[in-house]
Amino acid sequence: MTNSMNDIRNAKSVVIWGENICTSHPIAMQHVLHAKEVNKAPVVVIDPRFSKTAAFSDKHVSVRQGTDVALVYGVINVILANGWEDKAMLRDRTYGFELLQEELKKYDLDTVSNVTGVSKEDIQQIAKTMAENRPGTVIWAMGGTQHSNGTSVTRAFCVLQLVLGNMGKPGGGTNVFRGHDNVQGATDLGVLSDTLPGYYGLGEGPWKHWSNVWGVDVDYIKSRFKSTDMMGKPGFTVARWYEGILMDAKELGQDTNLHATIFWGHSSNCNSQMDRVKKALEKVDLIVDIDPFVSNTAVLPDRTDNVYLLPACTVYEQYGSVTNSNRDNQWRDRVVDPVFESRTDIDIIMDFAKHLGFGEQFMKNRNGPYSKDHVVEDLAREWAMGMLTIGMNGQTVERMKRQKEWAHVFDRDTKRAVSGPVKGEYWGLSWPCWTDKHPGSPILYRVDVPVAEGGMGFRARWGKEAPDGKTLLAGKGSAPKGSPIKEGYAEIDNWKTDITGKTAEEAIAKGIAPYGNGRARINAWNLKDDPVPKHREPIHSPRPDLIAAWPTYDDVKDHFRVPTLFKSMQKPEYAKDFPVLLNTGRQVEFEGGGSADRNCWWLVELQPEMYAEIHPGLASDHGIKHGDWMWVESPQDLDDKPSRMKVKAKVTKRVPPNMIYLPFHWGGSFEGKSLAGKFPEGHVPYGIGESANVVTNYGYDRITQMQETKGGLCRIIKA
Amino acid sequence: MASNQPSQARMKFFIDTKRCIECGGCEVACKNENHVPMGISRIRVVTVNEGERGETNVPIPCMHCSKAPCVAVCPVDALFTRHDGIVHVNKETCIGCGYCLYACPFGAPQFPTSAPFGARGVMDKCTYCAGGPEEPHSQREVQLYGSNRVADGKLPMCASVCATKALVAGDSPDVAEVARKRIALRGSGEAPWGWSTAYPGA
Repeated sequence: MTNSMNDIRNAKSVVIWGENICTSHPIAMQHVLHAKEVNKAPVVVIDPRFSKTAAFSDKHVSVRQGTDVALVYGVINVILANGWEDKAMLRDRTYGFELLQEELKKYDLDTVSNVTGVSKEDIQQIAKTMAENRPGTVIWAMGGTQHSNGTSVTRAFCVLQLVLGNMGKPGGGTNVFRGHDNVQGATDLGVLSDTLPGYYGLGEGPWKHWSNVWGVDVDYIKSRFKSTDMMGKPGFTVARWYEGILMDAKELGQDTNLHATIFWGHSSNCNSQMDRVKKALEKVDLIVDIDPFVSNTAVLPDRTDNVYLLPACTVYEQYGSVTNSNRDNQWRDRVVDPVFESRTDIDIIMDFAKHLGFGEQFMKNRNGPYSKDHVVEDLAREWAMGMLTIGMNGQTVERMKRQKEWAHVFDRDTKRAVSGPVKGEYWGLSWPCWTDKHPGSPILYRVDVPVAEGGMGFRARWGKEAPDGKTLLAGKGSAPKGSPIKEGYAEIDNWKTDITGKTAEEAIAKGIAPYGNGRARINAWNLKDDPVPKHREPIHSPRPDLIAAWPTYDDVKDHFRVPTLFKSMQKPEYAKDFPVLLNTGRQVEFEGGGSADRNCWWLVELQPEMYAEIHPGLASDHGIKHGDWMWVESPQDLDDKPSRMKVKAKVTKRVPPNMIYLPFHWGGSFEGKSLAGKFPEGHVPYGIGESANVVTNYGYDRITQMQETKGGLCRIIKA
Repeated sequence: MASNQPSQARMKFFIDTKRCIECGGCEVACKNENHVPMGISRIRVVTVNEGERGETNVPIPCMHCSKAPCVAVCPVDALFTRHDGIVHVNKETCIGCGYCLYACPFGAPQFPTSAPFGARGVMDKCTYCAGGPEEPHSQREVQLYGSNRVADGKLPMCASVCATKALVAGDSPDVAEVARKRIALRGSGEAPWGWSTAYPGA
């Protein structure tokens, strides 16, 4: 998120695109309602379904799933045709607008309407509403990202906000709502297979930097790897790790298959292609499931040995810092001591390190070994030293704890403290918070305030000049307020590696952002297939007639160590055999794989059973009544037979006439059979049901490998 | 302010049907706070026109009506109105006849069905998190009625956790002020949901 949840209160228009706030982020909905009621901000919800959030909109637009780039481009074309674009923003603070203009020629309104299923009038109305009510916010979530061209969708939203000049302003911004507690913190700290903490990547420089922070010899780290090549090679992703078990090792981007899998607070029912996950869990030598509850992972595979359950503490039994969706850091206390034999995550990690033979190096710190008594504080001090790229340095343990004590003095609209020892600080010390004197930066890319007050331009990440010779430094007059340099400038030397923090401190004292003042890249030349976002039909397209004009990508051989199929999986005949659209999402009572929530009987009482939303028309075509059982079947993709699940019909007009919508939190049942008997005695959740991801289709984002669960096909049969 | 004068206090709910998002937080918080058994709902969010324009969610607890019809029809005087307007049931007097259920315009009274031969147990309903006619926080009160937050100067749990402040609880003038401001902002002129029934003439 470039802006904050609270900052929605300053928006003059609210566009919610592929996110169901009422269900996924209910607390944040108060800010949308504030904008709607107090600012009279029009609320536009763009979602194939008439979601709970759509019920609060002034305008609901049902877009065909997976066609968001085309719709964004239709809207941009209307903006440009009317001269509504922010010319200064495009001229001074972006690079590559010409390439976008070239691409936009393919997206006339008739074409966009045909591709997206949205009427020309609605496209014009979205553009007009956004142009007349600035600054406006664009909010999205998985409805925007879980597509084979999800990276392009995300970038298209950013381009739209640049065209409208909504970046770097209160009430504006590109705001993707993260879906879980501390998931932003997890990403920041590098729980990804292609980067070290702080998005440094896996190159030699990053390894040196972090070894320096850890106080460990970089040669020792090297000695742990098979080769320096493997040290810099992205690993498997959470979307397709199981192929490392199933596929022939010759097909993999590494010499051997995976032999063990450890689940740590993650549910395997979040994976699409769940029948393949099941096979992998049956083939792998060892499964370890670390969770407060027995998750789906433990009961899904048909096996009786080498599955270990390690009881982990809940959030209430441990403490430390967390980072929320809008980059705010918060210190959390322990509420109760660990219950029964459960242990804290850090305790389990430390024991793993010890028994795997690198306990000493793991517990090393620049200031000596960690103490078990305050390891969480020690770790917080360590990341605050190393995370220079994103300015996660000023959130000291002491400051986070102090903010907790003074929470009552922060203003709800500005997030700034009005009094007390925290006066002037922003709530959560939102990163970048460059130094321990910096107040935090709740709104990114703001140039109307000094760097010392949370201002900054766009990061000069790609140097001074693009490959085409054009400048990547911002134009005249677009430096943060109070800057001695009034235009763009390159990043400061050593700003990412000076762990003393002095480089950053000196730059900020002068009014300079350590990371430079560059241009937002509309043309990202390094993304070779789509330097500017392009519409591409989903892998399982319901419109085979459009595949020739808007094809998906070429297959990729070594994509996070596995081959990922695009063109060879995009088969026109799927639409004939599987004529119904498949979509998944949340229900408000549960979260993630649901292993905690389905063990809470008050939540299960509200939602006792798994269901499939189905339109009355589609239901009656198949002789299905509300509450009837039905089978949902999906294409076989890599397998020898179609996947299928048995689920109860919830007949509702919420879904469009040709769509099935499944909540994804369920587990404990597979292809119509209950797995209740496989849970350890006394551990069967109150709510068990079929997992949506049994039938979600093959398909992955070209860049990130995120699964395409918001654009699939299926067929239904009355059970 | 009236809220400083307990003898004149008049507790009310304001249910903002333009703000409830059906997150169910009130229902779960109520159950957790009062240890309400499965099958009994002291508050329930009702959704009408689901999936269509006009979809509206209404969280419905006991409204603690000013001229409570349940109190009027109770044949054994188990129901009564407290000095602060909260309507209580005395579970040790209640005979489970169900007259109150027929009289209540909001469907608040709940009856456990676990008694033999399908007979109704004694009535249970929203207490405004104010316990019952027992010593506050006594074991007996907790067992029969649940929590007593009002005795501690706290608002009912449902309103306290409401994500969008759709459910507002408090003393009558304070609640009325919140309602007035919101309705004025919208320019709709609509009266708060249920008030003409629960608090006529207020």
